[in-house]
Amino acid sequence: MTAALTLFIRLIVRPLGREPGRTALTIFAIALGVAVVVAIHLAGTAATGSFQSSLETLTGDADLEISTVGGLDDALLASLQALPYPVRFSPRIEGFAMIEPQKVSIPVFGFDLIGDRSLESMAPPKSFDLDSLTRHDIIWAGSGVASEKGQQLRLTINDQTATYTVGGILETTSSQGAPRPNFIVMDIAAAQKAFSKQGRLDSIEVFLPERDDRRRNDRDWEALISAALPAGVTLKPKGSRTTENRTMMSAFRWNIQVLSYISLVVGAFLIYNTIAISVVRRRGEIGVMRALGAGRAAVTLAFLAEAAFLGAMGTALGLLLGRIMANGTVEMLAATVRSLYVSSTPGEILFTPDVVVVAVVSGMGVSLLAALAPASEAARVPPSEAMARGRHETAARLATGRRLIYAGLLAVASWGAAQLEPIGGMPLFGYLSALLIIAAAACATPAIVDRLAQWLSPVLRAAFGAQGILAPRSLSASLARTSVLVAALSTAVAMLVSVAIMVGSYRDTVIVWLNERLQADFYIQAAGQREARQYPTIDPAIADRIEALPEVQAVDRFRGYPVYYNGRPSILGAGQSEVLSRLGNLGFLDGSPPQQVLAKLGSSDHVIITETFANHHRLNVGDTLQLPLGGQLVDLAIIGIYYDYSSEGGAAIVDRKTMLKYLSDPSPSNLAIYLADGANPESARAAIENATSGFSVTLADHRTLRERALVVFDRTFTITYALEVIAILVAILGMAGALVALVIDRRRELGVLRFLGASAGQIRQLILFESGLIGLFSNTIGLALGTVLSLILIFVVNKQSFGWTIQFHWPIALLLGALTLIYVAAILAGIYPARVAVRLNPIEVVHEE
Amino acid sequence: MRLFQQIRPAPFDKLKAEPSPAEIPRALPMPLLRLDNVTKHYRADNQDVVALDAVTLDAEPGEFLSIVGRSGCGKTTLLNLAGAMDFPSAGSVHINGVVTSGLADAELTAIRRKYVGFVFQFFQLLPTLSVRENVELPLLLAGQTANTQQAIERLEWVEMADYAKRLPHQLSGGQMQRVAIARALVHSPKLLLADEPIGNLDSTSAEIVMNLLRRTADELKTTILMATHSQEAARITDRIVALRDGRIEEIRRP
Repeated sequence: MTAALTLFIRLIVRPLGREPGRTALTIFAIALGVAVVVAIHLAGTAATGSFQSSLETLTGDADLEISTVGGLDDALLASLQALPYPVRFSPRIEGFAMIEPQKVSIPVFGFDLIGDRSLESMAPPKSFDLDSLTRHDIIWAGSGVASEKGQQLRLTINDQTATYTVGGILETTSSQGAPRPNFIVMDIAAAQKAFSKQGRLDSIEVFLPERDDRRRNDRDWEALISAALPAGVTLKPKGSRTTENRTMMSAFRWNIQVLSYISLVVGAFLIYNTIAISVVRRRGEIGVMRALGAGRAAVTLAFLAEAAFLGAMGTALGLLLGRIMANGTVEMLAATVRSLYVSSTPGEILFTPDVVVVAVVSGMGVSLLAALAPASEAARVPPSEAMARGRHETAARLATGRRLIYAGLLAVASWGAAQLEPIGGMPLFGYLSALLIIAAAACATPAIVDRLAQWLSPVLRAAFGAQGILAPRSLSASLARTSVLVAALSTAVAMLVSVAIMVGSYRDTVIVWLNERLQADFYIQAAGQREARQYPTIDPAIADRIEALPEVQAVDRFRGYPVYYNGRPSILGAGQSEVLSRLGNLGFLDGSPPQQVLAKLGSSDHVIITETFANHHRLNVGDTLQLPLGGQLVDLAIIGIYYDYSSEGGAAIVDRKTMLKYLSDPSPSNLAIYLADGANPESARAAIENATSGFSVTLADHRTLRERALVVFDRTFTITYALEVIAILVAILGMAGALVALVIDRRRELGVLRFLGASAGQIRQLILFESGLIGLFSNTIGLALGTVLSLILIFVVNKQSFGWTIQFHWPIALLLGALTLIYVAAILAGIYPARVAVRLNPIEVVHEE
Repeated sequence: MRLFQQIRPAPFDKLKAEPSPAEIPRALPMPLLRLDNVTKHYRADNQDVVALDAVTLDAEPGEFLSIVGRSGCGKTTLLNLAGAMDFPSAGSVHINGVVTSGLADAELTAIRRKYVGFVFQFFQLLPTLSVRENVELPLLLAGQTANTQQAIERLEWVEMADYAKRLPHQLSGGQMQRVAIARALVHSPKLLLADEPIGNLDSTSAEIVMNLLRRTADELKTTILMATHSQEAARITDRIVALRDGRIEEIRRP
């Protein structure tokens, strides 16, 4: 064993072992912080990185993809196949089916099952026998959907539910080798019929010649094929959609990943505190070591080694915990992704080396960084001086004024950072602004704690006697340590408060918006619709039948198309602006009356866009939006920007007449039904249900729709709250550990109190009082800091990430409840230290040297 | 088992702290402090160490006793047993007629609050409290409210009232020990236990502190047990108890 290792074990590890409770609490606090980062990293990758699992996994290595809004005419396939190039074209239909009665949504793909060689990887060509292909009720299923050939499945596709027979079981694997068993394959003709896309194709995949055979490069091929395509039809490299979807979700992933680091920031305070306590306790030891020949670097390294040891233990445990937590997290994230972004099945949770790197960098890195200041302070202790605690505390007290100046400077810097533009769509300066204001609050914390303790002292004394006078004084006297505890807990509280305000404000804004938008009495959509950015169609006859009902005043037929604009997934929609202007409502950013804007919408090639669409693409009223529609590029004049919170990608809406001018498909995807004045809703519902009999559609009133929207909303932010709660837990655990250290350091004082007549109960109360005061101070600072942070989150981070306006709102009940719980938790954190205090032997501690 | 039926009404003075009657066991008439064949041993490094061995000692009200002997002879152990901070391994300790053995923590605490005051070698003033607040502390811990006047009166007794608002680190060692004595006397205990009260003081301060303790015994009729290494200090006490290896070697008049 080397000398350094011997010294490390004797001087660092052994002292930690003498306080197993406190050491375990510190390690567990770091572990939780690391675990959250690991869990979110693993789950985020699994939940949002699995788009390839669908079409791209199944079709292998296509080079290019041809597509357009509303689908391609299938005559285009014949004309492309007639080109004199060694290029293979393969048609695609995509959609979703819902398995009945389980209501599980499964991707469905229509392929040319005979001619498509790209399917060879999952089944031999003979699997798709001609007899089966002539029938439209035959499907081939992944092993997660069906178990044997001949099995019958009830599927709802668009507005029709029918029984299909499994023609065979297919196997395929993801690009990473994991099985992807949940999909259904149909022959292209059967798929066109099932999805009401007769004569149309969703895309054509292009397979270029093998690289060795190519006499042209990829760009030449693209140019050649593009020349053969009609206007408004796009040719993109395969995989663009995955990239675009990932780009769209990057803000979501970024924000959730950043939130996962909060626990680590809180943990950093606690590591700082742990090492600072070590330094204070071992000042005498440091003096002796220096006198015996240890250099400053050796002292610094010794304390950094202690932090590294704690960080390593915490990281190892955190990796394990994180992997376990990822199991629970992945489905939560996947549900959000499915609801808000794109249809996706969670992928496998892959424990890759980069996860270990993330964990080590975050766990060890944060530990070492946090320990740097106290470790270098230790190195500055002169060998001859084994200072008493009191002097160190006085120094901390004296520095409060200087720290207040730092706090002011950091606050100004935070304000400055908040004014800066995002970088690459990422609100990096917003995060920096948040970090700077947290640092500002941490610098101001000693002064605030000192002042609050002074103010509260007479009140507490009058109310609680000896404990009331001792608790605030002790906190004030141990300012260097208690202020770090308060800073840690108040940071966690502030993050919770800020997220609660942001989410509460957002929720309130969405409720107002929903009330404003959901003016119709009933809404209809295809029963097969469950996924984000999917607009399965319903038979146009349904709308006509409903409109003819005497109970119904008007029906607004809406058709949505998923589109990619400037590489960003969005929605192109068409509605009946005449109905909307007469009976509905829309809030425009510039305050224009909706009737006036909507009247213009129907008059020409005009478009209205959502606030997010405008912000992402930097568009304004008066600009032109060029979209590929029906084989031509159409210029649409933007006549209004409206508030919308339905999708992050945003939407562009034209009048239905405009849309039908370019895209002939009259099938709507959603209906908004306005009842006639005085119509009985119940009898109207019965009449509508009668009119839709034979179709698989869902009918919901506006109240149900609003409730569903809020369920999705609340589910989206469940994980956010979970992250905040873990941060609080980390702070509370760290606080318990640090309080134990404080108790041990003050053991003589506590022993003297026993000599002076304090009962064991009074000692216990004193420690609980102190933990309660730390909770109170943390709540006070956390509430103030959290309010400032919420402004940064709402008006900088959120605006730059997602592009929508949120009205500020205080969720008072939620905040009161949360702060009360945190206060109680802080008091509970004092139970173990109080127990340690009561168990101290006063005779030993008073007389020990 | 409770052996005592009645606590003797012994009005001490007007500053007396009143404990909860339910917490204090009843007592028979006896000397203020009696150590009856007291033995104390404890384990250290897996060995049985005898700190006190069959010690018998009585102290009457107003009597000032000094305990002398080498370090480790059992002086502090004797004070801790006399102050209801510890139980004897054998024998019994009677404080104002109450046997401490077998009492619960609350009962021991009540005895300390009513009958006992402590003075330490290193003063043990709480650094976060002012001089007045330090002196008030025993009263506050005993649950008394109107206590500022009592604290000031005790500070006047030790001639430290002018320093009431100062913090301990603003005082000299001798001043700190006088404040510690005021704190030990603020609830008018019948028994004052002083563990090397001048062990950390210069000779001038030591003389002031010793005179103060002498006055306390004479004027307040407080029984004082003082552990000391100083033969000079022991000379102004009423009796000198010499300990050697946990046993009383001799008890003599100075």
